[in-house]
Amino acid sequence: MHQQRIIYDDTTVRRFIIASVLFGIVGMAVGALVASQLAWWQANLGIPYTTYSRLRPLHTNAVIFAFVGNMMFAGIYYSTQRLLKTRMASDLLSKIHFWGWQLIIVAAAISLPLGITTSKEYAELEWPIDVAIAVIWVVFAINFFWTLARRHEKNLYVAIWFYIATIVTVAVLHIVNSLALPLSGVKSYSVFAGVQDALVQWWYGHNAVAFFLTTPILGIMYYFLPKAAERPVYSYRLSIIHFWALVFIYIWAGPHHLLYTALPDWAQSLGMIFSVMLWAPSWGGMLNGLLTLKGAWYKLREDPVLKFLIAGVTFYGMATFEGPLLSIKSVSALGHYTDWIVGHVHSGALGWNGFMAAGMFYWLVPRLYGTKLHSPKAADAHFWLGTVGILLYMVSMWISGVTQGLMWRAANPDGTLLYPNFVETLLAIRPMYIVRFAGGSMYLVGFIMMAWNLWKTARAGKAVDGEATIVVEPPAAAPAPTRAPAPGWVQVVTGRPLVFAIAILTVTMFLGWAKPVRAVVLLGAIIVLGEFAWIVTRRDREAGRPSWFGLIEGRPLAFTVLTLIAILIGGVAELLPTIMLKQAVPAHGQAQAPYSPLELQGRDLYVREGCYTCHSQMIRPFVAETQRYGDVSRAEEFIYDHPFQWGSKRTGPDLHRLGGKYPNLWHYTHMMDPRATSPGSNMPPYPWLAEQRIVVKDAPKKLALMQRLGVPYSNADVDGAEARQRSQAEGITADLAAQGVQVAWDSEMVAIISYLQRLGRGPQDLPAPPEKSPAPPARLPAATIAIEEGR
Amino acid sequence: MSSDKSLLHSVYDGIEEHDNHLPNWWLFILWTSIVFSAGYWFWYHIAEAGPGQLGEYAAEAAEVAKRASGNTPASDDILLALARDPASLDSGKQVFQANCAACHGAQGQGLIGPNLTDAYWMHGGGPMAIHKVVADGVVAKGMPAWERTLGAERVKAVTAYLLTLKGTDAPGGKAPQGEPEQP
Repeated sequence: MHQQRIIYDDTTVRRFIIASVLFGIVGMAVGALVASQLAWWQANLGIPYTTYSRLRPLHTNAVIFAFVGNMMFAGIYYSTQRLLKTRMASDLLSKIHFWGWQLIIVAAAISLPLGITTSKEYAELEWPIDVAIAVIWVVFAINFFWTLARRHEKNLYVAIWFYIATIVTVAVLHIVNSLALPLSGVKSYSVFAGVQDALVQWWYGHNAVAFFLTTPILGIMYYFLPKAAERPVYSYRLSIIHFWALVFIYIWAGPHHLLYTALPDWAQSLGMIFSVMLWAPSWGGMLNGLLTLKGAWYKLREDPVLKFLIAGVTFYGMATFEGPLLSIKSVSALGHYTDWIVGHVHSGALGWNGFMAAGMFYWLVPRLYGTKLHSPKAADAHFWLGTVGILLYMVSMWISGVTQGLMWRAANPDGTLLYPNFVETLLAIRPMYIVRFAGGSMYLVGFIMMAWNLWKTARAGKAVDGEATIVVEPPAAAPAPTRAPAPGWVQVVTGRPLVFAIAILTVTMFLGWAKPVRAVVLLGAIIVLGEFAWIVTRRDREAGRPSWFGLIEGRPLAFTVLTLIAILIGGVAELLPTIMLKQAVPAHGQAQAPYSPLELQGRDLYVREGCYTCHSQMIRPFVAETQRYGDVSRAEEFIYDHPFQWGSKRTGPDLHRLGGKYPNLWHYTHMMDPRATSPGSNMPPYPWLAEQRIVVKDAPKKLALMQRLGVPYSNADVDGAEARQRSQAEGITADLAAQGVQVAWDSEMVAIISYLQRLGRGPQDLPAPPEKSPAPPARLPAATIAIEEGR
Repeated sequence: MSSDKSLLHSVYDGIEEHDNHLPNWWLFILWTSIVFSAGYWFWYHIAEAGPGQLGEYAAEAAEVAKRASGNTPASDDILLALARDPASLDSGKQVFQANCAACHGAQGQGLIGPNLTDAYWMHGGGPMAIHKVVADGVVAKGMPAWERTLGAERVKAVTAYLLTLKGTDAPGGKAPQGEPEQP
């Protein structure tokens, strides 16, 4: 037995905090700028690099990966070392992790305004940066698991469980969703297309929220909240249940972003019911946080740290109630594509992530610099500014979202649209955009006050690294066991909770195919198994048998593998059938024809400019939508869409059936000055499209790449791509010239017009396929037409 | 289910971890949401008792179509009568300003789309000819079909309004396109 002194690596923690605060200011400032652009289009400044559709991804990426990412790493590095009673395994890996992550952020900050993007939300970064992210994440993982291996604490505290879940799941999500074929160093195409791409993207997108913005912060909550409150954590058994339920259920919930789209009904239903089932597990985390203050609520009055942490947990509770609510199909029908969703994510991002970060920083920085917080009063002011800011933000977005959702569907007594002009619905919510800008700006001001306060605190002290002294037991000669125990791994895989979980899940799986009678039998079996499991578990506990959970909590490898399995089940169950499905066979109707070379070039410009940030290409099966936009979108229309462009927000109208609706001149005029054709619009102008040229020689390369992705272009198509591109472009140029507008045939304007003109129909430079049925009689009411075509 | 066990489960880095029971209301939410989900899946995907989202849409569309079937179809007489009805002209003008003016100009003088105030028409200048263009559009020329979005009544009203613009020769009008109207 001897004593060992440990000096923790707190330098890395300090670095991550500085980076988080700096990038937090940048990310939120860009957020305030894009918010102002929605209220005043002039704030787009008329140049490509500051246009809303390019900056919005910068804002989301900066806040998620730069602000919360760095904050998460700070919290993880600080708490992990202390919970495991060991220094991080490798200072070198810590350094590589820190600097690598910052380089990635800088690369993102440069590439996104340049229009280098994959257009997959929260995964917009192009493939070289994606590779870098994967590498740095692996460095982090090695450092973390190596530290686990060197720990001086046998069992893992709940915070560590959440860190493990974060590390393995983010790796899986990032790699699968980023699979793409590169065209060049700055351009790649998703290997998935259409419905598949949409499902993979939102499996990723939703779980980026779950495993990047939620689980690591829950871990941080479990460490810093009881530390700050100096109170015990409420319930260990609650932490077990909510942890395993959260990691298992969360992964299934992605399709709730795609309700009422062309995604198959079964996948939508899974997304919805698993989101509903997430409510209680999420609130389990909230409860364990809030009830830590049981009997010590008075501390809230004096301590700004606790104010932030408790308010953060409360916002988490609000957001995780609102999430399941919005996942109910009929609620989603109203809320999807509106600002309600934007308000929802900001109650999470500003309330939960932002306040947890602030609480953690205010607690940590004085300790990391061996001093006291410079101004608790300023921290208090920050809290109130921030809270009022969030409330203004949330409430304005609720009003805006519900107003617009209701206006889109409002009908006259004869069933026609009450607000047929989209701009009317936009003008109605403009005041809310101004309120949101004000709320967000207040939050930003509070955050800057925090930066100042932390800076003054750091300057007043000097950097100190934490220390601890531990007692290391020599590997004692184990007392001769009376009966040789089974090897550890056998105990793990034969543990009762695991066996029962597998049994119940296996039976449940068959519900996917069962017919009613068999399903009732299966449900009965599940209930019996569950009851049996409960009785056995209770008896074991009363008998004082060692808990299986205690066992795996002392075995990081087993724990990690089980976590990985738990998150893979949902992903495999949803993604695999959709990907295996032979998409090329249209389920009900004519499949889409591949894009013409010029249309493909135009599509890339649509992606580059980020049109998807405001326009959907997915008409849902509601009469109010088919009246406004055209026939319901069908899965087979997107099979060559690498990547999909369904979008998630309608600041502007849906574009899926835009093709042929307006003349080329309309599009030209609209791109040059959106208000010339749509008075009141808040769309930024895109005049540079008329000046800049497409890379003519890219056309055959793009077709060849699409060929490799499975798009049925013939070799002759590839060889003739340049000539075909030119002839289609000259057709459009001639049409514009006839009406007095001169643009070069290879200008970006012509390419994007060609893409917009083919949306919802076939390539426009080929003779139209003979109509299968004559055009519907003109007098037939619109809705009837829509059904006939939808069938 | 009360337990005599110590509340304290363990201590990590000075953090005490208690082992309290789960609150009943929380368990209620947990089990209710699970039962609801099982029931939802059973209803829609095992018993297949729901129509599915396209089925729901078909029913909704049929309902709207039934309501719209009460509309009187447009005719020359009806449109000419509306063109003399100030209330209808007022609403027609509003529809025009909101939806048509961007391309045809606030006075109908023509911008992206053709001049509506001269004597030249590309698809005929009679009431029903204009009505057909507004209602069904001319996809090849980029004229949207408006009846689907605006509904039959508003299309009639705006057509009647257009009849009053005819021949006003708004200043700054776009050069004539199409054929002169045969009186």
